[in-house]
Amino acid sequence: MVTRLKEVDVVVVGFGWTGGILSKELAEAGLKVVALERGAMRSTEKDYSLPNIRDELRYVVRHDLMQNTARDTMTVRNNPAQEALPMRRLGSFLPGEVVGGSAVHWSGHTWRWTDMEFKVRSHYEERYGKNFIPADMTIQDWGISYDELEPYYDRFEYTAAVSGKAGNIKGRIQPGGNPFEAPRARDYALPPLTPILSSELFARAARERGYHPFPRPSANASQAYTNPDGSKFGACQYCGYCQRFGCEANAKGSPHITVIPLALKSPNFELRTHSWVTKVLKEADGKRVTGVAYTNILNGEEFEQPAGLVVLCAYAINNVHLMLLSGIGQPYDPVAQTGVVGKNYCYQTGVTATLFFEGRNFNPFINAGGSNATIDDFNINWAFDRGPHNFVGGYNVSGGFNTVLPIGYRPVPSGTPQWGKAWKAATAKWYQAAMQISASGSVMANRYNCFDLDPTYRNAFGQPLMRMTFDYQDNEHKMGRHAAQTVNDIAKSMSPTRLNEATARTQPWTVVPYQSTHNTGGTIMGTNPRASVVNKYLQTWERHNLFLVGANVFPHNASYNPTGPVGALAYWTVDAIKRYVKNPAPLVSA
Amino acid sequence: MKGLVVACAALLAASGIARADGDAARGEQRFAECAPCHALTRDVESIGPSLYGLFGRKAGTSPDFRYSPAFKRSGVTWNAQSLDKYLADPQAFIPGNRMPFAGITDATARTDLIAYLAKTFK
Repeated sequence: MVTRLKEVDVVVVGFGWTGGILSKELAEAGLKVVALERGAMRSTEKDYSLPNIRDELRYVVRHDLMQNTARDTMTVRNNPAQEALPMRRLGSFLPGEVVGGSAVHWSGHTWRWTDMEFKVRSHYEERYGKNFIPADMTIQDWGISYDELEPYYDRFEYTAAVSGKAGNIKGRIQPGGNPFEAPRARDYALPPLTPILSSELFARAARERGYHPFPRPSANASQAYTNPDGSKFGACQYCGYCQRFGCEANAKGSPHITVIPLALKSPNFELRTHSWVTKVLKEADGKRVTGVAYTNILNGEEFEQPAGLVVLCAYAINNVHLMLLSGIGQPYDPVAQTGVVGKNYCYQTGVTATLFFEGRNFNPFINAGGSNATIDDFNINWAFDRGPHNFVGGYNVSGGFNTVLPIGYRPVPSGTPQWGKAWKAATAKWYQAAMQISASGSVMANRYNCFDLDPTYRNAFGQPLMRMTFDYQDNEHKMGRHAAQTVNDIAKSMSPTRLNEATARTQPWTVVPYQSTHNTGGTIMGTNPRASVVNKYLQTWERHNLFLVGANVFPHNASYNPTGPVGALAYWTVDAIKRYVKNPAPLVSA
Repeated sequence: MKGLVVACAALLAASGIARADGDAARGEQRFAECAPCHALTRDVESIGPSLYGLFGRKAGTSPDFRYSPAFKRSGVTWNAQSLDKYLADPQAFIPGNRMPFAGITDATARTDLIAYLAKTFK
């Protein structure tokens, strides 16, 4: 039996950064908002404090804050010729499943993606000609500009306590910041984190080679901070437990310490945890949705929640899955190249070198999410000529530590036995003396990298699993080789005692080991309903009272972490929805 | 008995004020580092316990807060001297406590902070 509940103004599906921002802002604007979250309520007071923290077994091995693959997972394959098989254990990426979502366990890296991404096709075509972009590379302009998004980036950075050093304020280059960044109206909310030895050594070496190192902007409060909403942050203690953990010092910008408690204070807002949305319900007119169907996963009770407006704010992949399960928009077919839902799934790539300095003490356990120095000379620097290297996109390079797990991190030089006495001796010798330099690279859209519903495997609710088809293409292999060379050149210039060189990843992608939780695309934004699922206001072209917020709207993936534009687009969508409720109609005419 | 506790608290509070020769205004600014977790008002337990009535209180006795065993058995009573030692290096003074804060190395800053707390709870 399905219980039909009383209609509300807005139902928000998923309660992390985007769901938290939308819920708080819309409830404060006077709309009746209900948020449905699969996971449980968690708080810093009760959960992210001793003795419940700093536990590698619980959070890293057993994925305490992550999606439970026994209930729902996805099937994966590298290309349409293969049979996809279920990913029965999380590996390559880690979607959160808890109040606060993945933003509880993120590191905090907060970047501003620029017109380099938003106008990717037009920029490359203008400079290199139409033939430079391979025929199967389905990149497109996003339909939005950096200038439009700038105030929303600012809003998100100040909400999340982003610490960093501006490189360009209103067109004036600032010493010590990132000289390639787009102009910002003002500096970051907080000064950068204190550098650590490994990041200082990297920055010095990079500078000597003519590059432009700067402290990585990160939502790790470098000092005590009260954000514009009045949420209070403690100062980062450099404990080293950022990625995969909740922050015990209340210093990491997360929704459960900012927008979520404020939403919960509003009489217009209600949160229902353990609520698993199975479908978005459609109006027969083909132009609207009427609410969502969900199941209480504690007791199996089923509900329909009618709503005037539905906003999908779940993890990027789950937003796409819900669209496919609901039959909204035409599913994408990579062979015929028709349809849009599921198109342009993108991931990220990267290379890492490990440097060993005999006698050095790096104290790798002391770090913050953003205690790395970074260079963007091969990323958003348009002066870097891609022509001779023949690839689209870029990569950033960083040195330092971010969440170096006391048990899991065991750097040893190549050739060391993997177990036994020799391994023990090497791990004791090198644990303190090793540091890493990594490159993180963009992944351009390809016609065959996509999502659809799996024909065979089903989840605990009897619904088809999402099927992911993905592999790196020649473009990424070329970029990976370039990145490996850059990383190795910098590493060698530092004269380490031993060096595990970076090598380009050219093998097919697999679900192990952990690589990056930055999954993008599937319900992309754009200017044309035949080539995108949502318009620039993240409103679906097909049904004007359905909005999709998250990295699922990105038409391709950059080298940067996605949370900056995800947060900015959430605030941008709040403003769009406030306009929409006054005149419920498409915000962009098709 | 209750009267005795109050009298002791008053006495200890007085000794706190006597030592608190710091700048309470600067200390108030410094308190921004503590405020995300500690309220100054009665019965407001957040990430850390309320500091209401701190001077003269035994460590680990704010009624509704879940303290670490280390704190509960520390035997520490809060006054200007013990606060100064604790704030300088929390883990050295009460090993195994669960406050995620590395400490304040600057002695003047500690004195200022204690002066502010003393003034607040005068």
